[in-house]
Amino acid sequence: MTDYAAVASQPVSKPAAWWGMIILIAAEATLFGAFVGTYYYLRFNTVAWPPDGIPRPDVVVPLILLGVLVLSSVPMQIASRAARAGRLARTRLSLVVALVLQSGYFAYEVHDFRDQLHRFDITRDAYTSIYYTLLGADHGHVLLGILFNFWLLWKLARGLTTYRVNAVQAVTWYWHAVNVLTVVVIGTLLSARA
Amino acid sequence: MAIATPPSPAAAETMERLERMWQSRPGVLGWLTTTDHKRIGLLYFWTTLVLFGAGGIEALLIRTQLIAPNQDLVSPSTYDELFTLHGMTMIFFFIIPMTTGAFGNYLLPLMIGARDMAFPRMNALSYWIFLASAIFLYTSLFMGMAPNAGWFDYVPLANRQFNPGSNIDFYCLGIIFNSIASMLTAGQFIVTMFKSRAPGMSFNRMPLFCWAQLAAAFGLLFALPALSADTIFLFLDRNVGTHFFDPSRGGETLLWQHLFWIFGHPEVYILIVPAFGIATSIIPAFTQRRLVAFPLVAIAEILVVFIGFGVWAHHMFATGLPTITLVFFAAATALVVIPSTIQVFAWCMSFVLGLARFKTPLLFIAGFIFMFVTGGLTGIMFIAIPFDQQVTDTYFVVAHFHYIIFGAAVFPIFGGMYYWFPKVTGKLYFELPGQISFWVLFAGTNLLFFPMHIVGLLGMPRRVYTYPDGIGWTAYNLAETIGGYLTLVGILLLLGNLVVSFFRGEPAGPDPWHGPTLEWTISSPPPEYNFAVVPKVTSPYPNWDAADREADRRHLDAGLLVLQRGHEQPAVTPVDARFAEIVEMPHESPWPIVLAFTLSLVFVMLVIHKYGAAGIMGVLCLLALLGWHSKEPQES
Amino acid sequence: MCVGVLLLAGCGRTQNALAPKSHQARDIASLFWWMMGGAWIGLGIVVALLLLSWLRRKRRGWGSDNEGDKPGERLGWFVVVGGGIVLPIIVVSTVFIVGDLFVIRTTQAPASSSTSLAIRVIGHQWWWEARYPGTAAVTANEIHIPVHQRVRVEVQSADVIHSFWAPELNRKMDAIPGRTNVVELTADVAGHYRGDCAEFCGVQHAHMGLVVVAQPEAAFRRWLARQARPAAAPSSADAQRGERLFMNGLCSSCHAIRGTDAQGYVGPDLTHVASRNTLGALTVLNTPETLAAWIRDAQHLKPGNQMPAFPLGPTRIRELTAYLEELK
Ligand code: HEA
Ligand code: HEA
Ligand code: HEC
Ligand code: CUA
Ligand SMILES: [Cu+2]
Repeated sequence: MTDYAAVASQPVSKPAAWWGMIILIAAEATLFGAFVGTYYYLRFNTVAWPPDGIPRPDVVVPLILLGVLVLSSVPMQIASRAARAGRLARTRLSLVVALVLQSGYFAYEVHDFRDQLHRFDITRDAYTSIYYTLLGADHGHVLLGILFNFWLLWKLARGLTTYRVNAVQAVTWYWHAVNVLTVVVIGTLLSARA
Repeated sequence: MAIATPPSPAAAETMERLERMWQSRPGVLGWLTTTDHKRIGLLYFWTTLVLFGAGGIEALLIRTQLIAPNQDLVSPSTYDELFTLHGMTMIFFFIIPMTTGAFGNYLLPLMIGARDMAFPRMNALSYWIFLASAIFLYTSLFMGMAPNAGWFDYVPLANRQFNPGSNIDFYCLGIIFNSIASMLTAGQFIVTMFKSRAPGMSFNRMPLFCWAQLAAAFGLLFALPALSADTIFLFLDRNVGTHFFDPSRGGETLLWQHLFWIFGHPEVYILIVPAFGIATSIIPAFTQRRLVAFPLVAIAEILVVFIGFGVWAHHMFATGLPTITLVFFAAATALVVIPSTIQVFAWCMSFVLGLARFKTPLLFIAGFIFMFVTGGLTGIMFIAIPFDQQVTDTYFVVAHFHYIIFGAAVFPIFGGMYYWFPKVTGKLYFELPGQISFWVLFAGTNLLFFPMHIVGLLGMPRRVYTYPDGIGWTAYNLAETIGGYLTLVGILLLLGNLVVSFFRGEPAGPDPWHGPTLEWTISSPPPEYNFAVVPKVTSPYPNWDAADREADRRHLDAGLLVLQRGHEQPAVTPVDARFAEIVEMPHESPWPIVLAFTLSLVFVMLVIHKYGAAGIMGVLCLLALLGWHSKEPQES
Repeated sequence: MCVGVLLLAGCGRTQNALAPKSHQARDIASLFWWMMGGAWIGLGIVVALLLLSWLRRKRRGWGSDNEGDKPGERLGWFVVVGGGIVLPIIVVSTVFIVGDLFVIRTTQAPASSSTSLAIRVIGHQWWWEARYPGTAAVTANEIHIPVHQRVRVEVQSADVIHSFWAPELNRKMDAIPGRTNVVELTADVAGHYRGDCAEFCGVQHAHMGLVVVAQPEAAFRRWLARQARPAAAPSSADAQRGERLFMNGLCSSCHAIRGTDAQGYVGPDLTHVASRNTLGALTVLNTPETLAAWIRDAQHLKPGNQMPAFPLGPTRIRELTAYLEELK
């Protein structure tokens, strides 16, 4: 290989955008690691967990919702495949499907969050503090992902480019990460039942 | 050696074309919108130098207050703000951004043979955010609300109950704000070193400076989130009424300390490792010998940061944690010593086995080794828990970390300033004044920091705004203060020398030191496109591989490996650096500064507790992001 | 100025960690001397290498290995591995074993009920409260202990984190809200041992001194008995007026005087304030003048401390002082 210009540039390794997203995910994971660590640190320094007078978190609804959210990883993955294969319509469609699932999850969670706040306030004690902080942080990330997807759809309205393909790929990775984080977060919060 | 002068008319023509293609906008606008790593590096350099001045002036006020017993130059509360700001400024706003933001930005691409960072606009963004965060923190000083609970800001002293007023809100937000910048820098350094090395520069051929930067970047990436979490909790405790740190409501006072030091200890290695990197670039150049035990040193640079994540509780030996816990962390601390000793002896043996030319930069490195060993050895003493519990929170600790930080982080920075001055300015500095400035600094800092060991053992606690007469501390404090001013003189000599050299210095030529790494293969100051041809790399000392440099010129003559169809540069496979693709680098962009501005609005709103408004500003940030991504690189 | 006077008063002269007055402090001190010796050797090795390179700087032949030969690389590796791995392993494991397996034991906190005397020391912004469980005695900033006796000190905090430290007797121990940390004090010789709050705790962290008074068993018992007694009724007319002033909330809202209805808990217990050597946590020597000055304007003597200045006329001050001076 003497002159790169001669070499047709088809990627033989992951693009920088992908690495960028991995870095972002690593940082986010560490942040949530600190949150979850705090949760257990506080828990093992407290006798009653959750403190008496606070309802134990209910399992059924959160788990169903969680299932819905995690499910959205599938259409996202399909989207990124399709994008790389240059199949625009399919990419758009699966993004929309994912978006529906995610928005559904988000809408319900926000509603749930608000009426929980009515039942026990974040300022009550250390338990509620970390409880709402964890949930809130996670919801924030879901919201961001939803915005990402709208942005993608808006971009894809004007066809595919390598740039946009990379974008779809990166956002897909973001969503996989957010879903894993959500599993960890919900799992941690539900562990208060055990 | 170097391709400073074009070897042939054809080459000259190519270089002109590149010049035109990479030329940045003239004037201030060019600086505001620049994405050139060299310009960003310089912006970082000047900003952090000014902040160093601020932190130093605070330090000298501290020293002047302590020059004699029972002084009242500053009020007790002002004193608290002074040492808190001093610590924060020096750690978060000087050392880290100076070693990574300034040195890293300017030199990384030059050393790995790239034309720019992997994410040039993100790089610019990180600078503007950094600048904004510095301004943010310092406005608190002028509003008389500067942070005042020490740089590690222990609760409950930092909580509303004992600290009404916005001082600590400025601390929390300032830290988070600043961390964003560091995170961006760290992230894109990592990607740059994975993707943008010159084809052929596999990891085992990457210069140790880059290894150090890589270690530091990973350190920042995994350490800062702990601090962010901590400061977020504190902000909530203070302003929302949560109870993370409130024992009466199930919270834990020590939670703050754990999270802080989980960040804090890695941090101290993060700020030393790039300095190691500078040392390992200067030593081969001035001993004309490849560094002894290269692989061992590379591993040690990574290890020191890695192990550094497991030792945090050695800052909490006096908090009454269970003995077994303390002993565990003491053992881990003992372990972390070894990577450092490896490097020290590798440097020393390179001095001995090479042909040491004691020019100013190498003098600073020798001084650095001396100071680092001194500070490191007191560090080792802290491994003995009972002794640590005797001297913790006294000036003995202050002595330990100033020896290490000033001696081992700042000296290499000074050495680096001399070493790369010719590369950045194209001028040679004056040697004799340079050496004088070193000896003044060496004498000054030792006079400044050594007595702190003694006065600490004599029982002087840190963070006291004054001290009583007649218990044997007076003379030492006087000596320290004199040393402080001597240090100032030394620094002013150094800066003065560089300023004069900038105007009067001899032209340096591309390679005054016969340096080992790629930056010395190009003209000084480097052209905006850095490398006319993608350099050939077969060892960690490319500039000493004459054959490869010959190859470069041939390529230039033949117009091969030039990449002149735009802001192009090759991307490689992460580990063995095989050529992967040609990427189109973004051009100058106004969006980074715009986004940084909107982001600072968010923080301003937060600190005045206008959370709704903060939300709106957040939306502005998103809009700025939209604008940022509106223009796509055209397909090649 | 004040400490100059303190010296005459025979209060703690120094707080020198290397002038140990107990077996704990002595162990730690000698540990330090050994480590320092080692440190000089370590530093010596490195300096020697640097000097060697300076001596060899002028020689010819070696160096400039642009074509790749690395002169003496094997020797280099040998030294790096020997000095950089083997040597430190030996050194740090010695420090670790001696310091963290042995000295840590001899200086450890005593198990509860293993000592005949326990004292509760509570840090406040910015003074020390000392209680003697089992007796009514409460005092401030002056902690009396019987010499040659193991005393268990339970360290607590009423507000922020402080750190209890009497360097000549033992290692320091943080006072953390919501926790009780324990440290042992054992004085080998009678005397006054100065100490300080070591953890930054706010504006007057600098004036949060304490003094440990080690005295013979008998003397200590007498002192304790006196401290445990409630305050004697004021005798002089001035003092009686002073008491009334004190009680009408002006001072009693913050200070307790046992045997009266002053039960405040913001400031130190003043039941036997006149028996103390110093005021304001070693800020000033306790004399009628300084006492009056303190009452008039504590903020002047100790800026930012929790006791406000009182705009009282000289007579009022005289009366209050007279009253407190009687609280021996
Ligand atoms: C640049 C930053 C830096 C570095 C590199 C270090 C390096 C080390 N530090 Fe330091 N440290 C700080 C910055 C740093 N420190 C700061 C800022 C604080 C205080 C924070 C605060 O409280 O405000 C602190 C505080 C601190 C404490 C807590 C003290 C206390 O508050 O009670 C401890 C305790 O273990 C410690 C230990 C060590 C050790 C063992 C090393 C080791 O890594 C040192 C290893 C190096 C060497 C050993 C030198 C090489 C020597 C030779 C080659 C000679 C031969 C040696 C042998 C034979 C052994 N440090
Ligand atoms: C990088 C880290 C760093 C550096 C370089 C320094 C440098 C200095 N430090 Fe600092 N120090 C800390 C980090 C650092 N310090 C930390 C973390 C703490 C703990 C804070 C806390 O307890 O919370 C501390 C605490 C600390 C204390 C203890 C305060 C107390 O506990 O009460 C003291 C006291 O003497 C001190 C003194 C000094 C002095 C005299 C210098 C001198 O070496 C400074 C010399 C520098 C100058 C004199 C500036 C000259 C530069 C210029 C003039 C440039 C101008 C150029 C332009 C304007 C373009 N420092
Ligand atoms: C608002 C609460 C408050 C009030 C009211 C108050 N004090 Fe105090 N006082 C304190 C505090 C707190 C200290 C400890 C100051 C320190 O050392 O930091 C103190 C210390 C003292 C001391 C020194 C005790 C020692 O051993 O160091 C004396 C004596 C004293 N007060 C007398 C008085 C008198 C007399 C009055 C009434 C005129 C008074 N105080 C009113 C809070 C108060
Ligand atoms: Cu109490 Cu410092
Ligand atoms: Cu540390």
